[in-house]
Amino acid sequence: MSSGRSPSGTSTIEAVAVTTTEGHRVRRVIVTLLTISAILTFAYSALSIYIATQLVYAPQKPIYATPASLGLIFRYVTFPSREDHLQLRGWFIPGVLSSGRLTSQRTIIMVHGVRTNRADKGAGLLKLSVELARHGFAVLAFDMRGSGESQPAPLSLGYFEQRDVLGAVDFLRSGRLPFPELGRPRVITGWGVSLGAATMLLAAAQEPAIRAIVSDSAFTDIIPILEREVPKGSHLPQLFTPGALFAARVIYGVDFYAVRPVDVVASIAPRPIFFIQGTRDAFIPPSNMGDLATAARAAPNANVQTWLVPGATHAQSFNTAGKEYVDRVVAFYTATPGQDSSGT
Amino acid sequence: MSSPSIDESNAPAQSSAFPRKSGAWHGALAGLIPLILLIVIIIVVFILTAVARQLVAASGFFAQQQAALMVLITGLVLAVGVYIVALVFTFRRVAAWKQGGAVVQVRAALWALGVTALLVVLPVLLGIVLPQQPAP
Repeated sequence: MSSGRSPSGTSTIEAVAVTTTEGHRVRRVIVTLLTISAILTFAYSALSIYIATQLVYAPQKPIYATPASLGLIFRYVTFPSREDHLQLRGWFIPGVLSSGRLTSQRTIIMVHGVRTNRADKGAGLLKLSVELARHGFAVLAFDMRGSGESQPAPLSLGYFEQRDVLGAVDFLRSGRLPFPELGRPRVITGWGVSLGAATMLLAAAQEPAIRAIVSDSAFTDIIPILEREVPKGSHLPQLFTPGALFAARVIYGVDFYAVRPVDVVASIAPRPIFFIQGTRDAFIPPSNMGDLATAARAAPNANVQTWLVPGATHAQSFNTAGKEYVDRVVAFYTATPGQDSSGT
Repeated sequence: MSSPSIDESNAPAQSSAFPRKSGAWHGALAGLIPLILLIVIIIVVFILTAVARQLVAASGFFAQQQAALMVLITGLVLAVGVYIVALVFTFRRVAAWKQGGAVVQVRAALWALGVTALLVVLPVLLGIVLPQQPAP
């Protein structure tokens, strides 16, 4: 009997019998799986997009004071960032030589940290600018994109901001300077704090015109910091961080995974780098400075100095060490080749 | 008498292997259509978001953000809508196959839909399993 029956027919009849009883159950399970997966992924995407919009936006803080309030001459400047030409606002403070003459021969580009501006009261940026100017160094301090008085832009934690530093270099080399009588700078150096320091390292790796760098409280890689800070800021579990970073890439074109100064710092050699960090820095652990210094020293002709400031918290080395900070930074810049020929 | 038995024992054995295989492919493909549509729409939405961002770049950050978010959110909602409609059609087709006794297609399509459910939830799973080393 069985040999007379079609094998395919038999299996079909049996299978239909099975599917009528179990088919509905399987179908229900799959429908449930599809519904749950769609809801989960849709909610995950929506929350990731929301976190991304929060991550890249920082309200722009107004400038609280000017160098004039500390007794120095200065002029406002506006210049475009390199590549995307965003308008950046800043000020240029000529250096004051011991003779009282003004100079711009050695100019320091100063870059502030995250969610602040060129006068950053917290890190003492304006005070430090004035101290350096009084030691004969001209200072170009500016607001990075999306900060202070510069054009609004997404906060990309160095990914786009490095173009701002490069724009500052272009401005000093070929822009319309506010003190034309002082001539163009012969030596351009850089100073940055926190995000500013990381951004300065990223920019200096591409721009040999930046002849020496002071990096105060830079991070090696932004991702571990975001992996800690995004859940804290969003009050959502860690699993949303990769989604938020991906959403930031889709919406704003920001690739946070590329913000890794540790990968490029060796290419700054033989130009000197001075790494500074506070021993009590809880935001960017001091190990970041060690890792950056090690990476920078990997270059055969590296010129790297480090200074761990005892007791200083994040971006507070200048406020903590005061005069010693100024003396060390001035000594570092003074040792950079290119003396001021405008007379002392 | 002998010819029908040959027809029943030999011909179906040859012809059933091929339809079973092609039926499985047919079912799997039908089951994967919602996922394929979802992926294609999402890729197009990502490209359109980048284009929108570039097009309004000169208008400033807020206009850029608004344009990119509008394209992205509209696109994602559209993708979800198309996905749901495609699922409904697929389930109707599965039901029709079941009525017609096409078990191979039904099984393959249900397997494909199960795989779809897993792939759709993949971003969440990746968010959970991707190693993260937050700074201390």
